Amino acid sequence: MGIVELENVRKIYPLGKVQVEAVKGVSFCIEKGDFISIAGPSGSGKTTILNMVGLVDQPTEGEVYLDGKPTSKLNDAELTRLRHETLGFIFQSFNLIPVLNVWENIEFPLLLGKTRVGKDEKKDWIDHLIEEVGLSEWRKHKPNELSGGQRQRVAIARALVTRPQIVLADEPTANLDSATGEQILELMKKINRELETTFIFSTHDARIVDIADHIIRLRDGLVTENRRREEEAPAACQGAEA
Amino acid sequence: MNTLANIALRNLTRQKKRTVLLGSAIAFGVMIVTLINGFAGAFSANVAENFSDLMAGHVFVSGSEKGEGDKTLSVIRDDSALTAAVEASGAPVRYVTRRSSFAGTLIFEGKKLQTNVDGADLSQETFLRDRLLLKEGSWDSMSDENALILSEKIASRLNVDVGDLILVQLETVTGQANVGEFRLAGVSYDAGIFGQMMSYANLGYVNSLIGLAPDEYQTMGIMLDGLKHTDAAAEAIYGRLYGGVQLFERGVKDEDGAVTPFQALMRQQKKESWEGVKYRLFTINEVLSQIEQIVAALDTTAGVILVVLFVIIMVGITNTFSMVMFERIGEIGTMRALGVHRGGVRSMFLYEALFLALGGAVAGIALALVAMGVISLFDFGMDSPAFIIMRNGHLSFFLPPLRAAANVLIIALLTLVAVASPAGKAAKLTPAEALRTQK
Ligand SMILES: Nc1ncnc2c1ncn2[C@@H]1O[C@H](COP(=O)(O)OP(=O)(O)OP(=O)(O)O)[C@@H](O)[C@H]1O
Ligand SMILES: [Mg+2]
Repeated sequence: MGIVELENVRKIYPLGKVQVEAVKGVSFCIEKGDFISIAGPSGSGKTTILNMVGLVDQPTEGEVYLDGKPTSKLNDAELTRLRHETLGFIFQSFNLIPVLNVWENIEFPLLLGKTRVGKDEKKDWIDHLIEEVGLSEWRKHKPNELSGGQRQRVAIARALVTRPQIVLADEPTANLDSATGEQILELMKKINRELETTFIFSTHDARIVDIADHIIRLRDGLVTENRRREEEAPAACQGAEA
Repeated sequence: MNTLANIALRNLTRQKKRTVLLGSAIAFGVMIVTLINGFAGAFSANVAENFSDLMAGHVFVSGSEKGEGDKTLSVIRDDSALTAAVEASGAPVRYVTRRSSFAGTLIFEGKKLQTNVDGADLSQETFLRDRLLLKEGSWDSMSDENALILSEKIASRLNVDVGDLILVQLETVTGQANVGEFRLAGVSYDAGIFGQMMSYANLGYVNSLIGLAPDEYQTMGIMLDGLKHTDAAAEAIYGRLYGGVQLFERGVKDEDGAVTPFQALMRQQKKESWEGVKYRLFTINEVLSQIEQIVAALDTTAGVILVVLFVIIMVGITNTFSMVMFERIGEIGTMRALGVHRGGVRSMFLYEALFLALGGAVAGIALALVAMGVISLFDFGMDSPAFIIMRNGHLSFFLPPLRAAANVLIIALLTLVAVASPAGKAAKLTPAEALRTQK
């Protein structure tokens, strides 16, 4: 089994009297350590799927397995804890906490939850991450003093600070110019290789999917393509029935 | 410091204008209420201390005798038992005064005026000399047997000067008409509406006018180290007197509806009959017991103002925090995604409101204290009509710390109630909703 597995997932949003079926029965499996792109045009269901993988939303039907465990029966507190422990988030509009400076924004997830990290160890780790994303000179700056690219770098460091197994990035480059967007993806890819963190990013830009090891294409809430780069056949996790 | 509390505190600095506005509203409300509380806090003590100065005591003992026709006359003939009881009581006595007094008519060159004259032993009551400043004349001339000190107002109404002879008409303790003659020895600075109360003569001469022997008098005043000792000292002295002399019961209730304990005590003597001198012990607090009702009314008013102001302010707080919640909806979603629990979101809002309330309340109290300090600098003079509620001619304030703390607590609670609903809404949002709704 993979680190993330979706099994016949449907998501229906009530919208006034009508219902919008944003995801219409989607199954796929993701291998640990992969760099995955979820691609598709606007409205195809990318955000909806990432939200369900990220446990910030729950499917109407079907099951999301994280690390082999089903998540549909978990309550809000358990989901929150699981998000904190296993997931990292990168958002399209960066979503840094405006009153915290760069260092504090990165530190923030470490101050939540029960596990306390040693002070020196924590400092070294955050400093290392800041260096990794190239913001050593900006650690005391507030988000509104940074450029978009810099903000997204902070967000990447923040997503990694709890050493999550999976980092989810919903259109992380959509608010950046293409050169900066490319740099951000390169950075994510580099960290993916160094830390073996599974990255799942969504994009509607067909040109940047090439960087991925595994591409899942969506259209109208359905998977239209699902393949790992080195494989000819559709992607399937080891041990899963074909 | 708790991360979320820290963020809440910093969030207050984001919309400085809004924070300052809401904080000022809270501060203003607290300031008004604190000023009233401070005034009420000093009010009863000031009135009581001023009265005890005028009446020369905190605890009083007066004697009553039944005369002919069941008429009571006020006299203490032999105070050895009283003196012994005061001494034995261990009360912190500064000094003891012995006074007789009458209400009579002063007459000078055809002008007449009703007034109370207190006969005091001025060789003993040096305190009176310090308290009562003379505008004209001198205390030394009080050595004349029939010397009299009048307040400025009475002296001018009679149009008398120091050295003039003033005729007096009065009744003796037994009800006989009598006349006497005073020589004006001094004119004191006016003490406002109580100026009328402040005519002083020698005890011996007053006694002779009202028909008492030179060593007799009517009321013993026991001046203590301060008002606060009053009740304990009264209890102790009463305890020493009890059983030794005839004594009116303390703390009697009057079914006919006496307003004050002192009135009840006075009515009691009309109903009883006895032989010889029977003593009555009372305190300045009993004489002034209605003051407490005024204080209670002031504090109630302050409480009502506090609540009314804060219901208005609460509406503002609720609206503001509903706005704040929508402004920060993306942040709420982000934090929830990163692992902040529902309770965390709620407490972040509650912290923010609490800090705002505490900041406003502390500022309000500080402002009130400054205002009190400034107001109490003004010298209204001893002749101000409001003299009796002041301390030495200055308005004074005393803010009972518990009341201030209670006000802060009320504000904090009301504020928390005011943000409970927006905070609850923020906590209820699912992270996906919050993230989706962000601008
Ligand atoms: N909360 C919601 N209520 C109603 N409809 C929703 C809701 N969220 C998403 N939808 C609808 O579901 C469909 C999929 O939306 P989703 O946001 O997942 O698409 P997306 O691929 O992320 O699009 P984009 O590239 O524009 O971000 C869309 O038709 C959208 O309008
Ligand atoms: Mg989207």
